[in-house]
Amino acid sequence: MEQVECIIVGGGLAGLSAAYGLASAGVEVMVLERGDYSGAKNVTGGRLYVKPIRGFYPELWEELPYERPIARELVTMMGDGAHTTIEIASDRFAGAKPQSYTVLRAKLDQWLAEKVTEKGAMVVPNMKVDELLRKDGRVIGIRAGGDEIGAQVVIVAEGVLRLLSSEAGLAAEPQAKHHALGYKEVIELPSGVIEDRWHLNPGEGAAQFFMGACTKGMMGGGFLYTNKESISLGMVVGMEDMRRRRDGTESWQLLDEFKELPQIKPLVAGGVVAEYSAHSVPEGGISQVPKLAGDGYLVAGDTAGLSLNALVTVRGMDFAIASGYFAAEAVKRAKKAGDFTAAGLASYEASLRNSFVLKDLETARAIPGFMENPRLFTHYPVAVSRLLESIYTIDERPQAGLFKKAWRGLRRDFMNVATVKDAWSMRKI
Amino acid sequence: MDIVVCVKTNPDLQMVRIKNREAVTEAVPYKIGDLEKNALQAAVDLRAAAGGKVTALCLAESNRKAAEDIKVALAMGADEAVVIDDPALAAPDQAAIAAVLAAAVKKIGACDLLLFGEGSSDNYTGQVGARVAELLGLPQIGYARKVEAADGAVRCERSMDDMIETLEAPLPAAVTVVSEINEPTIPGLMQIMKAKSKPLQVWALADLGLGAPAPVREIVSNLAEEQDRKNILFEGTVAEQADAFVNALIKEGVLGR
Repeated sequence: MEQVECIIVGGGLAGLSAAYGLASAGVEVMVLERGDYSGAKNVTGGRLYVKPIRGFYPELWEELPYERPIARELVTMMGDGAHTTIEIASDRFAGAKPQSYTVLRAKLDQWLAEKVTEKGAMVVPNMKVDELLRKDGRVIGIRAGGDEIGAQVVIVAEGVLRLLSSEAGLAAEPQAKHHALGYKEVIELPSGVIEDRWHLNPGEGAAQFFMGACTKGMMGGGFLYTNKESISLGMVVGMEDMRRRRDGTESWQLLDEFKELPQIKPLVAGGVVAEYSAHSVPEGGISQVPKLAGDGYLVAGDTAGLSLNALVTVRGMDFAIASGYFAAEAVKRAKKAGDFTAAGLASYEASLRNSFVLKDLETARAIPGFMENPRLFTHYPVAVSRLLESIYTIDERPQAGLFKKAWRGLRRDFMNVATVKDAWSMRKI
Repeated sequence: MDIVVCVKTNPDLQMVRIKNREAVTEAVPYKIGDLEKNALQAAVDLRAAAGGKVTALCLAESNRKAAEDIKVALAMGADEAVVIDDPALAAPDQAAIAAVLAAAVKKIGACDLLLFGEGSSDNYTGQVGARVAELLGLPQIGYARKVEAADGAVRCERSMDDMIETLEAPLPAAVTVVSEINEPTIPGLMQIMKAKSKPLQVWALADLGLGAPAPVREIVSNLAEEQDRKNILFEGTVAEQADAFVNALIKEGVLGR
């Protein structure tokens, strides 16, 4: 059997990040990517939080092919005919060292694959790995088509579906209840139009979340990210909620209806749909993170469940890059010690535990459970909008005082057993 | 028998979109054209029968990663690859392409058979094979759907409208092939790994003793065809609308021809 030092299954951000670290250190590494090129199979909403990863491979991020640094954050709660948008803007969101950028993965991943190739790693696209080869419980290589290739260590960064790792018994098979369905359109608009519609300085970007009526009460929400000359508009809906729905609504219909809403229609008017894509999104949080390393293997990125939806901030790409970095560090250490067993690779999990990756996931442990509460997606967006609508309404009748209007709304929608319980459960998130 | 296959890389056509009537090629990866893959496969098959060496020859044009992309040809079975990459050749015309390829074939030296796809997947002018053959003074056979070589000659079949023509030319010769000739194999991982250590040379124009080519043609316009909608609205009952619609299609010559 032909041998290489390290095989990486999956040429997404986790796999490429690991490959970059390893190739830079002179480790012989081969990345196998199923798609026509890196980035071909990815779907992301669109934002990379770059601050957490600036310390890893600092030379890379100077050249990052981003779309726009995000300067404005918007959250829209969609009620019954009324909606409320909160804007959070800060000089510190964008500025000299922006905290996050919108990205398009086809560009980003191809760029990173090129950087990895320059470092001497081999990135092989169009190569579907069929099996992880095991011997006496140890991962010893891979099989792709008719070819078996051995490796001292295999980094499994195959993405959310865990097709190979679950078959090899490295990770549990993904379950619908721990996943959401994400789907989006990339809609082209001239950059000037984008800047006008989202009140942006030239080159800056906005991110907008929508919750409430747009998912018809299902767990999830809508998202919108501004790219240079397009917007990424999509939704994420809990798979279990989608499956339980009995009215025959298909996911794509939700997005079509979303685009027709009076709040959204003017935002996308005149735009040309350039791309449509869909993917499953890990939403299980830290409880669904599998064993991260074993004899001859490591798991990274979405395969390791490293994704965090904290309602208003959604992360995954920074975790993927970080896990790839730490995987490379662990493999380098294992190579030095000549020990690729679980013990030799154990520093990987330790590094992740000591970093923001598993710390932030641990902090957010209660969020997946919290989000199972349907009132988040039905009652509250309606109630907030209804309350504010009443305050802003003047009709032919004598108006109640401001406090009285607010109190009435609060008492009606926010002061009952259920909401008090919800407030109590919020202390954990 | 030593074979040189001229291979072009094109932007992946499945990924190219049209915006404002122009092709958007930003972030679109390059691939070896399908017809060139047929030519490569034909070369590999001929080598299997007659022995010898297969060299893939690629003019990078605007593809700065051609030396990387051409490795697919090595994985498919070529023994060696030569890439001509020169900033002066970013957007050459067919005359310049042919001149450079002819010079490169001379520099490669041993060449009993020169193979091309019938045309490139992007511009599809179908000129380059014939031009190179002419510059090198080689007999040429175009649009071959079958190629065999024996006794110092190449024998090709090509489909004409109502017959199959069989032609023979003495070697060395130039042949362009059509897609029916074979089904190119998709290289496996082992072949891809082995391709890594095969010889690959990158030459600039100076290596061929050539200067920057003077273009003999200028592209005046290269826009996607544009057609306005007729914007005819049919009214009335569904049956009336259907009748009017069908009549309009007949009038346009779309139906009932």
